[in-house]
Amino acid sequence: MGISWSNRRRNNHHHHHYIAAPPPPPPLPPYHEPILYPTTNPPPQAFHPPPPLHSHNPYSAPPPPPPPPPVNYYNYQSHHGYSSCNYGNPMMGRFNYQYQYQQPPYYNNQAHGWPSTARAAPVGPPPPYVDHQSAKKVRNDVNVHKDTLRIEVDEQNPDLVLVSFVFDAMFDGSITILYFGKEEPDCRFVPLFPEASMPVRIPFTKGLGQKFRQPSGTGIDLGFFMLDDLSKPSPGEDVFPLVISAETCLPSPSIEEHDEHLGDPVSNTSSHMQITQAVLEKNNADLFQVKVIKQILWVEGVRYELREIYGIASSAAEGFDDSDPGKECVICMTEPKDTAVLPCRHMCMCSECAKALRLQSNKCPICRQPIQELIEIKLNSGDQ
Amino acid sequence: MANSNLPRRIIKETQRLLSEPAPGISASPSEDNMRYFNVMILGPTQSPYEGGVFKLELFLPEEYPMAAPKVRFLTKIYHPNIDKLGRICLDILKDKWSPALQIRTVLLSIQALLSAPNPDDPLSENIAKHWKTNEAEAVETAKEWTRLYASGA
Repeated sequence: MGISWSNRRRNNHHHHHYIAAPPPPPPLPPYHEPILYPTTNPPPQAFHPPPPLHSHNPYSAPPPPPPPPPVNYYNYQSHHGYSSCNYGNPMMGRFNYQYQYQQPPYYNNQAHGWPSTARAAPVGPPPPYVDHQSAKKVRNDVNVHKDTLRIEVDEQNPDLVLVSFVFDAMFDGSITILYFGKEEPDCRFVPLFPEASMPVRIPFTKGLGQKFRQPSGTGIDLGFFMLDDLSKPSPGEDVFPLVISAETCLPSPSIEEHDEHLGDPVSNTSSHMQITQAVLEKNNADLFQVKVIKQILWVEGVRYELREIYGIASSAAEGFDDSDPGKECVICMTEPKDTAVLPCRHMCMCSECAKALRLQSNKCPICRQPIQELIEIKLNSGDQ
Repeated sequence: MANSNLPRRIIKETQRLLSEPAPGISASPSEDNMRYFNVMILGPTQSPYEGGVFKLELFLPEEYPMAAPKVRFLTKIYHPNIDKLGRICLDILKDKWSPALQIRTVLLSIQALLSAPNPDDPLSENIAKHWKTNEAEAVETAKEWTRLYASGA
């Protein structure tokens, strides 16, 4: 107790059956769009890490290594390269395309999701069309730019460290910083060691590209913890050394109250949260570095895990130039690509070619992993 | 005529091959069949094929790109994964084909195969055996064949 921030919780509005009508997106290219995996809560198992995209070996000689095959990646990677250069983005030199966060703000706050019914991988000849579906957009009202997350020494309290990052928020809300935060049902997070560190909650006002820095004096002495414990999540991935929960208060009146959670500083009664789960590692200079492992969206009582789609950035650039290999379907090399393969998340085909491919193959053209689902993503079609 | 109904992809690939050729590789379509390509690959440096100019033929079947191109060496070559008819043992031309691959990537893979012979997955049993029992001698033979048959003269 004694954390004054927790009192602000009482002033929050809670909305459970309302979602703000999203404004239409400007016709600007996003540099990456997150993809959302609705999941059970808490997650029983971490998703497989994305396949490495940075193989520089352009050749495949027999026998090839297990997937991903280098030849394909050569191909794919160069596509990204072309299109990345075409954006003329001043931030391009600093960040990999996959982690671009200097995207137009509206797109930054959008994500694609689909229903949470998991499907088994097809066995035998692939059934045509059966798992070809269109992406649903879920608006992300608050987004922590995960590549900007830093641990900084508090100059006024050199033993303590503070968290800083850049974030976008469509509405007012609050940031909660939690060390060794354990995920509980309904996307609530509680401190595993409340005696060592209580959650710190800091309110914010809406705005895009805001710099957040935890106020001096509210930090933590990481010397309390073992380096080993800080550097990895718990085996079940329900406890992360650093958890940052950003939540927004929707600007409509609400009379709903959730008394059972009011005493809990990190309870979830908000309809919209983004949670960033990270580990802390010491670099060569003996300073802590933040490595984000996962981001979760909690929207209207549904938990989504954010995943990036490979190749979506190049396809999303404005207009379709027939001579740009980054935007075209890898199969017909004619139509813009608009279909991603799941679970590998390679956006590489147009919907027609995707349908044709499914009649004769169940492997992703890029990585050869079995196709479980195809998802069509219309980038510039606006919101529902 | 087969050329009248050529898919856009093949036209595009051809244009890009001609306008931005890969280093050490040239491929140009035959005049009377745009699915048939005359290919030349330069022997990679630091390989027994260095200095050689190897001719190949490449054909895009009707199913391309759902099916792999058919590629064959026309120049005689001493290589454990290439047989005396010029057929190539390369996974991406067989079961590892993907429609995301292209003429360019296939030819780059073949060029890489020249740099990295793989006698453990042979097409020519004799050459592979030679390679495994006496690699230095096999390499010498490959160099000699390169001089004899691939001098480009």
